[in-house]
Amino acid sequence: MVRRIEVRELRKSFGAQTAVAGVSFEVSAGEIFGLLGPNGAGKSTTMHILVGLFPADGGSVALVGQHDPTQAEVRRQIGWVPQALAIYDELTAEQNLQFFGRLYGLNGRRLQDRINWALDFAGLNDRRRSLVAHFSGGMKRRLNLVAALLHQPQILLLDEPTVGVDPQSRNFIFQNIEQLRAGGCAILYTTHYMEEVERLCARAAVMDRGRVLAMDRVAELCRQHGGETALEVEVTHRPEEVAALGGQWQEDRLIMAVADPVAKLQELARAGVQYKSLKVRPPDLEAVFLNLTGRSLRDE
Amino acid sequence: MSSWWTIAIKDLRLLWRDKLGLFWVLGFPLLMALLFGAIFSGGDGQASALPVAVVDQDGSKASADFLKTLQDSAALKVTLLPDAEVARNQVRQGQQVACITILKGYGKSNQLFSGGEPPVRVGVDPARRAEAAYLQGILTQQMFQQMFTRYTDSSQLRSLLGDSLSEIERSSDLSSTDKQIFRTFFGALQQFTDEVNTGNPQRSASEWQPEMVKVEEISLSREAQLRPRSSFEITFPQAVLWGLMGCAAGFGVGLVQERRMGTYQRLLVAPISRWAVIGGKGLACFLACIGVTLLLLLIGRLIFGVRCDDLPLLGVAVFSCGICFTGLTMLIAVSGKTEQAVAGVGWAVLLVMGMFGGAMVPLFFMPGWMQNLSQFSLVNWGIVALEGAIWRGFSWGEMVWPVTVLLLSGLISMSVGVTVLQHRKG
Ligand SMILES: Nc1ncnc2c1ncn2[C@@H]1O[C@H](COP(=O)(O)OP(=O)(O)OP(=O)(O)O)[C@@H](O)[C@H]1O
Ligand SMILES: [Mg+2]
Repeated sequence: MVRRIEVRELRKSFGAQTAVAGVSFEVSAGEIFGLLGPNGAGKSTTMHILVGLFPADGGSVALVGQHDPTQAEVRRQIGWVPQALAIYDELTAEQNLQFFGRLYGLNGRRLQDRINWALDFAGLNDRRRSLVAHFSGGMKRRLNLVAALLHQPQILLLDEPTVGVDPQSRNFIFQNIEQLRAGGCAILYTTHYMEEVERLCARAAVMDRGRVLAMDRVAELCRQHGGETALEVEVTHRPEEVAALGGQWQEDRLIMAVADPVAKLQELARAGVQYKSLKVRPPDLEAVFLNLTGRSLRDE
Repeated sequence: MSSWWTIAIKDLRLLWRDKLGLFWVLGFPLLMALLFGAIFSGGDGQASALPVAVVDQDGSKASADFLKTLQDSAALKVTLLPDAEVARNQVRQGQQVACITILKGYGKSNQLFSGGEPPVRVGVDPARRAEAAYLQGILTQQMFQQMFTRYTDSSQLRSLLGDSLSEIERSSDLSSTDKQIFRTFFGALQQFTDEVNTGNPQRSASEWQPEMVKVEEISLSREAQLRPRSSFEITFPQAVLWGLMGCAAGFGVGLVQERRMGTYQRLLVAPISRWAVIGGKGLACFLACIGVTLLLLLIGRLIFGVRCDDLPLLGVAVFSCGICFTGLTMLIAVSGKTEQAVAGVGWAVLLVMGMFGGAMVPLFFMPGWMQNLSQFSLVNWGIVALEGAIWRGFSWGEMVWPVTVLLLSGLISMSVGVTVLQHRKG
């Protein structure tokens, strides 16, 4: 069995609305691949085709070497964490897990073992008999995640698994996902938080309006599309000559985009600029997106 | 099949946790059954016995006999009053449904042949006209029963015939030819009764009287059985249908709700067939329908004496109702995209069916055209099937038609709903 996700020239429209317009990527075993894009980019639609909720209009997908994700033996290898909180509020955490475990053919001792593992994994062991309705948003997210892991899938499709989660819970989820990657899963991770991609993913694709705009190792994406480093200097003494150096002033702060921040700082010193603090921001995925689309990742 | 059960058990568990949903499938129907059952039964434990005041102005042996038959009737709760005015006032104040006055001369009167005033006068509370018809039925039955006793007792008959003859002689509005005809007729009748009595000792009145009465009694007691024994035998089948409507609406909306929450999609990507997903939901609905029905009937049986004696017939009725409303659930579930739409369409259809099907007001209170419309209401067929098994005394042959309608419409709506669900993307 090849623990691998392949997507080739995938296309999908809903009426006149094109959701996915020719998307291709691959995810190998032991890799977390990020799909980064704003709302409506087509991330979830890609996922839904991958899990076989509806067929693509064109192109193909392959999971564990199989092209039809609706086959039961393929489904048994897929762990899909939907973007929506797809768990039952009126059941307890344990009852939810029992239900989803049984759907995947688990029962008896083995089901119980897996439920115990999942509750530990999600840090919900002490709340196993509480109704999900009484959970916090972060706890629901964690349960939503582990409900897809009970059957030990080899392929993980995580659709924005950290929406609305506080930083602590988010960190907890990241550790879990890294643990699963270390176990050899092929993981597809969609998000519109570039920090998550930078933290988790070795490779990523930047997606917008149904298309992949760029795809590479994260560092390489930043190097190629992130533009120059941003330098921000809080100035205490501002000589006349500094105007010739360019950049934008915001009150007593000078902000400039530079290729080589060290050389620029030396230049500023020579011009007689004195400063009390400085920030150097290397190009990030936010900048990559801005440069590729002319829009910010968030303001959609 | 195990995944069907997994899904069904989960759905039933969710229903159990959903207190509002539970109210609609159990609480509300039970309230309806109790409320209307109590209203129609007149409010006290004596289920459905009509309170009537009786005034005996005749004071003869015959009127005392009639009074006794009224007092013995389970359908009436008789209060004997000395004065007609008092009785009328009690009716006006709502304490009695009717006042029955046995007029002077009742014992003498020959109800078949005297042209004058009827010997019994009945005054009914106009607000309770529905019970008036029922009361009239009971009274007629009682009077006929009495007359049979009178006419089969030859000594009584002979004195009556004598009275009739002298009345005819006295009558001023009969022509002499008419009088002659009656004279001949009653003369022959008198002769006949004399012969029966004296000329044929084997066939004396005392022998053939019980025979006549016995035949009548059998048919009477069968008639009595084919009436609801209490108003609860009418309101509990209605309640069951309310419960079934609650199930159909609840599970129909539940399916849409699961789609919106995304859990339905999670079921669809599990390694089970789409058949199992839909089948499991259908199974849950069917089990809920059966459970609600049995629970309501059990309460009706244990507390209100609703007859559930013909278990096989009742079982078939309950099963068909379950299939019918499970089918409706599937149809309702695909009748819209959002929960509001489905709840709206679902309840609209169900309430109209309930209204015309006799779930709110029993069918026999409705005008004829409405009763005709009820043929199109599955609620009506459900009530007919249940009542058929509970008090209408249906034979298997009579049960075939309502059960066929229920099963067929259930299966048709089920296949439409399931086909749509099967082909829906995502
Ligand atoms: N079932 C559907 N019917 C019609 N249009 C749809 C459907 N699903 C998605 N779309 C459209 O397809 C486009 C892509 O949607 P999709 O949900 O894949 O975006 P996304 O990248 O997951 O966005 P988000 O970050 O908000 O989850 C959107 O314009 C959306 O309106
Ligand atoms: Mg999405």
